[in-house]
Amino acid sequence: MTDITEERGTDMALDRQLEVLAVCGVGMGTSLMLKMTAEDALRSLGVEARVENTDLSTARGMSPDVVIGQGMHTGEIADLAPVVITISDFLDKDGLEAQLRERLTAQGWLS
Amino acid sequence: MTSRTDRPLITATDRVTAADWREAARKAAEALVEVGAADTGYPDACVRVVEKNGPYIVLTKGLALVHARPEEGGLAVGVGVTRLAEPVAFGHPDNDPVDLLLAFCTPDPDAHVGTLAGLARSLSGGLADRLRAASDEDDLAGVLKEAVPDD
Repeated sequence: MTDITEERGTDMALDRQLEVLAVCGVGMGTSLMLKMTAEDALRSLGVEARVENTDLSTARGMSPDVVIGQGMHTGEIADLAPVVITISDFLDKDGLEAQLRERLTAQGWLS
Repeated sequence: MTSRTDRPLITATDRVTAADWREAARKAAEALVEVGAADTGYPDACVRVVEKNGPYIVLTKGLALVHARPEEGGLAVGVGVTRLAEPVAFGHPDNDPVDLLLAFCTPDPDAHVGTLAGLARSLSGGLADRLRAASDEDDLAGVLKEAVPDD
């Protein structure tokens, strides 16, 4: 097993599942909606990913590849992951997909 | 004590008047208390969620998902829709004003996943517009029932 953290922030393609965290204040309702939107978007992009949802305070102890949350929570999630994405409409799959495509491509995780 | 019901309790209230978002959220959650899905402290807990974390529960244009943690008074899985007579502002940068509130409660963190997942799918499939087009309270309840899986 290689240490996956060594690949963080590099230009290497991921040879494993992308770890994605959907975050909201309570960590069960809104973030679950967001998780489902993210799963749909990642599926459309053909990205193999595991999406979890949680609350802001639990999220601080985690180190996903991508974190997705509300714009108003940006300050609290900004340093959690190499890729931080904020959206205002949790059901906007197309908008999230466009952001994911751009950011994952920039990381070299999507070609 | 918590109990797991076979299917979520569904409730609908229409033409609800609210002076501000607090009253709207409280009334939406109050409907869950009335059907026995949530304890009396739940509405205030739902308001505190927004006070603490901001109006992120306004998850798409015009629609708020009113909820709090299970231990704040969730007795059964319940979903309620509340349609406001006049929309209110939650202070959300993009999704205000809010005219539809979906209130939600669950007795434990796992019991609700199927229900909310179904609700999310329905919302992506235009549930909000179908709720806005409902003719009255019974119609609202019917539309919501169709959107929530039996689990």
